[in-house]
Amino acid sequence: MKKKIVSILLSVTMAGMLLAGCGSSAAPQAQAPAEGGDAPAAESAPADAAEADAAADAAADTGAAAGGDNTLTVWAWDQNFNIYSINEAAKIYQRENPDFKLEVEEVSWDDLQTKLGTILGAGNYDQLPDIMLMQDFAFRKYAMQYPDMFTDITNSGIDFSQFAAGKLSASTVDGKNLGIPFDNGAEIACYRSDLLEEAGYTVDDLTNISWTDFNRIGEDVLKKTGYSLFSTQAGSADIIMQMMQSAGASIWNDDGTPNIANNATLKTCMETYKMLFDSGVMATANSWDEYIATFTSGKTLGTINGCWILASVQSAEDQSGKWSMTNMPSLAGVNGATNYSNQGGSSWFITSNCKNVELASDFFAKTFAGSVELYETILPTAGALSTWTPAGDSDVYAQPSEFFGGQAIFKDITDYASKVPQWDMGVYYTEANTALATAVTNVVNGGNIDEELQTAEDTVNFDMGN
Amino acid sequence: MTDKTRTLCSYIVLILTAVISVFPLIWMVIAATNSSVDVIAGKLTPGFKFIENYQNLLANQDIYRGLFNSFKYSIVQTVVSIVICSLAGYGFEVYHDKYKDALMGVILMSMMIPFVSMMVPLFRMFSAVNLLNTTIGFILPSLSTPFLIMLFRSSARSFPMEMIEAARIDGLGEFQIFVKMFVPTMKSTYAAAITVTFMNAWNNYIWPKVIMQDSSSQTMPMMISNLTSGYFTDYGMLMLAVFITTLPTAVLFLFMQKNFREGLTGSVKG
Amino acid sequence: MNSKRSGMGLNARRNFEGWLFLVPAVVLIVCMSLIPAVMAFVTSFTTGTGANTQWGGLSNYMRILKDKVFLQSIKNCFFYLIIQVPIMLVLALILASMLNNPKLKCKGILRTCIFLPCATSLVAYAIIFRTLFATDGLINLVLTSIGILNAPYNFLAHPLSAKIVIIIALIWRWTGYNMVFYLSGLQNIDYSVYEAARIDGASPFQIFTKITIPLLKPTILLTAIMSTNGTLQLFDESVNLTNGGPANASITMSHYIYNQTFQGVPKFGYTSAMSFLILFMVAVLAFIQMKVGDKRD
Repeated sequence: MKKKIVSILLSVTMAGMLLAGCGSSAAPQAQAPAEGGDAPAAESAPADAAEADAAADAAADTGAAAGGDNTLTVWAWDQNFNIYSINEAAKIYQRENPDFKLEVEEVSWDDLQTKLGTILGAGNYDQLPDIMLMQDFAFRKYAMQYPDMFTDITNSGIDFSQFAAGKLSASTVDGKNLGIPFDNGAEIACYRSDLLEEAGYTVDDLTNISWTDFNRIGEDVLKKTGYSLFSTQAGSADIIMQMMQSAGASIWNDDGTPNIANNATLKTCMETYKMLFDSGVMATANSWDEYIATFTSGKTLGTINGCWILASVQSAEDQSGKWSMTNMPSLAGVNGATNYSNQGGSSWFITSNCKNVELASDFFAKTFAGSVELYETILPTAGALSTWTPAGDSDVYAQPSEFFGGQAIFKDITDYASKVPQWDMGVYYTEANTALATAVTNVVNGGNIDEELQTAEDTVNFDMGN
Repeated sequence: MTDKTRTLCSYIVLILTAVISVFPLIWMVIAATNSSVDVIAGKLTPGFKFIENYQNLLANQDIYRGLFNSFKYSIVQTVVSIVICSLAGYGFEVYHDKYKDALMGVILMSMMIPFVSMMVPLFRMFSAVNLLNTTIGFILPSLSTPFLIMLFRSSARSFPMEMIEAARIDGLGEFQIFVKMFVPTMKSTYAAAITVTFMNAWNNYIWPKVIMQDSSSQTMPMMISNLTSGYFTDYGMLMLAVFITTLPTAVLFLFMQKNFREGLTGSVKG
Repeated sequence: MNSKRSGMGLNARRNFEGWLFLVPAVVLIVCMSLIPAVMAFVTSFTTGTGANTQWGGLSNYMRILKDKVFLQSIKNCFFYLIIQVPIMLVLALILASMLNNPKLKCKGILRTCIFLPCATSLVAYAIIFRTLFATDGLINLVLTSIGILNAPYNFLAHPLSAKIVIIIALIWRWTGYNMVFYLSGLQNIDYSVYEAARIDGASPFQIFTKITIPLLKPTILLTAIMSTNGTLQLFDESVNLTNGGPANASITMSHYIYNQTFQGVPKFGYTSAMSFLILFMVAVLAFIQMKVGDKRD
């Protein structure tokens, strides 16, 4: 009798569940198994945020003093890039310290923000890993709101002077080094040289030029070949931010208030954006995947973005040898305008919950801040470009790239990176980016630039007021 | 309209709906055989990259562990949820009075707050009782859902009270009536509930991701999130992963829907 | 309830046993939802960012009135609610009653196919919907070739069409899901009732409105409340299909709350206040729906 068996089974599970239900609600402490977590820290978890800080500090101190545990936990994302790189670093470090172990938990950046936000909001600093990777644009937000989540490593023996200054500023606050700079996001422009040739141009014509000249050439190319020169993702202000940085112009006043409505450089950026959009030289895509498809499937003949975009460019294997790379256009008529900017990039941070700060900083001192070999390993396989200057002199960086017709692209990018103007992204970078994205969308649909910038400033001011 | 033309109309509408419904799934299967560049270019014909995508996926994510974890958590969560919530739904309806109806209203309200706002308080509570990083902590918040309770409550409404009365006269206890009469009669409700609970459990991801600190407890949805977070996204590989993730719920429904048979219960209330 | 009174002792016992059925589920909901909700409610009276917060009284609730993006998101959500939910539920009812015909063959496959959209991975379906509605996508191709459009239209770049794409996506995704509950509800109705009605000369429409709908009333109420709740808390489509754009024209309340909580500088007090506004709106609508639909005969 099938029915009977089912009902017996059901009643048994149900009885069990009733018990479990009562048990877990009445005395959950009694049966909480500590699965793989750092139990010693968890036991002393106070609910109060202030107390948690103190406890986390204490835990860090005792952890460092004890120094018995040689395993460090890491939060990072991207198997082929960040996680690969830190695992390679661990391999190098293990040669001298065979007991050393890294436990990497893969957390996508969006999930990391959610997870970190919840943990910090609840004040449970003891749930932080020893090391975490963080996007540079988000660093200031966390450093300002939760200064206690980081360990100050200024005097930890890591030589910070060897990192590119522009990149280093993304992990320092008030002269204190809180992070170890990692990958390079120097802005590059990649073009299909075969298609450019069809229109009678070479990549040299697009090197060291202004957006105005770029637009002029672009219109000609569009007429002759039907291709736009590059594309952006609609509803994103990233390209505006890149233009701003290329001129070293901030969207923030020195006191941290937004400088958007009456910012002449920003207005030039918006005008440039509209010019490129109206002429069709810049195509727009509705989403990230569509954006990638614009240049891998030949809707545009190029792309302008942080150098990590190379991985996507090179995924179109059949176009090998047809690409070339150069710097981005500069803003016309703006003081301090350059052809160099930055998009993206992240840094490693040792949290205040690190059990063994000495070990963690020694690990970084001997790898990301001290091993040319590491960068020589991760560059060809992962395309991870360093911001640690000694690595740039390595022969590996001078290797010609077949995909780019024999151009030594990594050497060029390292050169671009050294020329990127320093730039303050501010605490409210995300809010400003969103507000400017709205402004840009409205401007290309016929909105007035001054009014839209005023609205954007109002929005950011609203977000900053509590 | 004759019976025949009516049936024909039904066929046309249903088949059309079915085709529209299934199209993305078919596209997913095709995409899983193509290279990343082809997928985002919108290629609609199968390619030869399936094995490559599969190998890349295996190299990138431990999907067998992901599948194992997903099945483990989803099955436990589904079984416990169904038992707890069908008991409650039955109780709310069969023994209803104004207090229980009011309580039902309060329970319904608990689902109306976006979970985002409850995460920090919930995290504090779980930390206070040491449930962070535990399997129990993983599934506990989604075990009892107002939706399931209400589903069983509304299906209990069509369960004839006369049957209950008769059983009581026969000397069956209240719990026995539930197990021996309600559960077998409400097969179709259980089938629907099992499918959607399994699906929700299978896709449940943000809370587990927040409280689990252990990479060996990653489930399939977490792995898919990982696959999309890099500087470069391999869409062919991604589509293979999402296809694998979609299959279990689809197969489960295919088996469960057999319980939808017309008028098996032979009873209408009212 | 028409139970006969056979002594207070028995009734009281039965009532007690009735409560026992509820205990596990209710205790869990109280611990996992109600207590955190109360804590979030307290938070909604604090202002400040990150760890620096102080008591702010009602200021967060006043702030909502000045938040243009959030007010826009409320409008968007109600637009989705008013248009999408009725269409979806009626479609689901029609499909379910068609599938409830015992003469139909291949029902299993048809049911499964129509259910599939809600099980389809969000990542995949977002990509395919965007591809379909892209300027060079299939929809534009069809519309231009049959002459409805003169030139390709960028659906996702315009406020109204972006919202309509979201509505189409929602209908596609959730109709089959709701159909399942109607199907399972229909199983509890004896098919002979239909046969009898048909012999009496009732038209299919009459059968649908006079028999199917009244008997499914509890299930319809359930799906209506759930869809209302789901739409006002809509998140996935806003994030994945349009990213709230163009210029916040399709952003939903939950999407905005998520952005404000985890993407930007965290304002837990303010986001809790917005969440409670959602609770209030859903609760009022659900209350009305319960008043109309939750009567026992």
